[in-house]
Amino acid sequence: MIQAQSLTKRYGSKTAVDAVDFTVQPGKVTGLLGPNGAGKSTTMRMIVGLDQPSAGSVTVNGKPYREHAAPLREVGVLLDAKAVHTGRSARNHLLAMAATHGIPAGRVDEVIELTGLASVARKRVGGFSLGMGQRLGIAAALLGDPAVLILDEPVNGLDPEGVQWVRRLMRHLAAEGRTVLLSSHLMSEMALTADHLIMLGRGRVIADAPVADIIGGAGSNTVRVRSPQATRLATLLAQPDVTVTAGEQDTLEVTGISAVEIGEQAAGAGIVLHELTGIGASLEDAYMALTQNEVEYRTGGSAELQEAAR
Amino acid sequence: MTTTTLPTASEAAPAATPSGAGKDAAAIRLSAAGLIRSEWIKLRSVRSTVWSYALLVAFSLGLAAIMSGSLDLQGADVSMVPAANQAIFVAQASTFGVFFGQLIVAVLGVLTISGEYSTGMIRSTLAAVPNRLPALWAKAAVLFVATFLVGLVSTVGSYLVSSAVLSGKGLHASLFDPAVLFPVLGGALYLGLIAVFALGIGTIVRSGAGGIAVVLGIVLLVPIVLQMIPAAWATSLLPYLVSNAGINMFGLMSFSQVPIEWWVDLLVVLGWLAAGLAGAAVLLKRRDA
Repeated sequence: MIQAQSLTKRYGSKTAVDAVDFTVQPGKVTGLLGPNGAGKSTTMRMIVGLDQPSAGSVTVNGKPYREHAAPLREVGVLLDAKAVHTGRSARNHLLAMAATHGIPAGRVDEVIELTGLASVARKRVGGFSLGMGQRLGIAAALLGDPAVLILDEPVNGLDPEGVQWVRRLMRHLAAEGRTVLLSSHLMSEMALTADHLIMLGRGRVIADAPVADIIGGAGSNTVRVRSPQATRLATLLAQPDVTVTAGEQDTLEVTGISAVEIGEQAAGAGIVLHELTGIGASLEDAYMALTQNEVEYRTGGSAELQEAAR
Repeated sequence: MTTTTLPTASEAAPAATPSGAGKDAAAIRLSAAGLIRSEWIKLRSVRSTVWSYALLVAFSLGLAAIMSGSLDLQGADVSMVPAANQAIFVAQASTFGVFFGQLIVAVLGVLTISGEYSTGMIRSTLAAVPNRLPALWAKAAVLFVATFLVGLVSTVGSYLVSSAVLSGKGLHASLFDPAVLFPVLGGALYLGLIAVFALGIGTIVRSGAGGIAVVLGIVLLVPIVLQMIPAAWATSLLPYLVSNAGINMFGLMSFSQVPIEWWVDLLVVLGWLAAGLAGAAVLLKRRDA
């Protein structure tokens, strides 16, 4: 279990993580989701003590990470695949990590086998592909057979087979009763892997709920209507709490009013409808809706560009 | 060992097994011995270490051979040379390589930590040792012992080379003559200490190029600059520079009008080392990794 209380990280005048509170429960996969710069990595780094919080605190299994006698048994962490000396072989890297805690060499070979690195274990890490580096990082995270796993973008650079493997592994580890926290900006990945989501935007928690709730809560009332008289229909539907967006070729996307009502109103006015579809929201929609105002590096936008240029 | 069956990269359906802690799970914890072993694995498993130590030994033996081989007695009667002077010459030939060796091990000392920063390894290290300082102490201890031992191989080896060459010219000195043994041990000790000093600087600077520049500046440049300043204060500072004190310690050269005891030199070197490590410790503890 991971518990954060008013966890804050400031870099100069910039607040990367802004007084976030959350609890990551054991037995399920929790996804930390957010756009670039939302504070996902910083949050993860603070959990394992690599960054010192500016304010607030975070505990792992009831204690600050550094107070555990065997940190690697508590938390296995993959922060980025490049946290390895490039001049050392994968096996020597794992042996050195294992030695700190007196983890036997047998366990090193076990995680090498588990992550499919056996054929390259004695090669220098500098020559590894991104995917192999990612596997090595996961191997290192599993070394101590930890109760908590923290993985920052674990599927980054993996091939489809590797992605599936990580997904199964995460689900399996959670099923064993472990706490699994992974970050991603890939919504589809999160929808498939995570049970629970913590969404960050500009350093704040903007949603903390089961995946199903987040998907269900967003865009459930969007209806797509296609009509040759789209313009008339749009005028007809115009009400204060109804949003009508014109799409391509006589298509309207309507929110704030149900498909039934649209159909009835159109019939009343004698408007022909070619399509009337309730759009099932995806996690992507939910994510876009929730993070609309939270994206730090939006494309375009002269203010942001000017700021970036400074 | 805990034997939880996790899905392997090739395996399909994972078998759910309890995350059971094995019998020896209690033995798995951070320990000083574990950190020492870890740092030893790290030190010996990168090429820069192997190269540095090989160069150190090769340079030392080579320079000992050159220095003793180039001694031209011009037919003088060596039997007239007092034993004490013979021993001093043998000692000088045996430790001449330390001059160059200090530069090699200083670079190695910086690389030992800067390599972790440049590759990101430091994050793995500090995640495993969240209190941080034990990792630094272990690194310093391993680097010191390894460098001292390799230093000893090179100074004793240099003694063997130079005494073999010099005995052909009639100069003899036993390794266990204090005038030889002290410089041979002192040279190796100094190499170990300067490597750890460089480790401290490397930790402060966090960059290979920067760390090497600072350390070589302190070891090589500052003594030269001070010597060029024609003021009494500059001259009086000379014996307290780390490289001068280190070289004086094993009796190769003196930088002071009044003889300085070897233990004073040792204290001076230790003072530099302590300052470097203290700065490293404060910054390592305080900075985000």
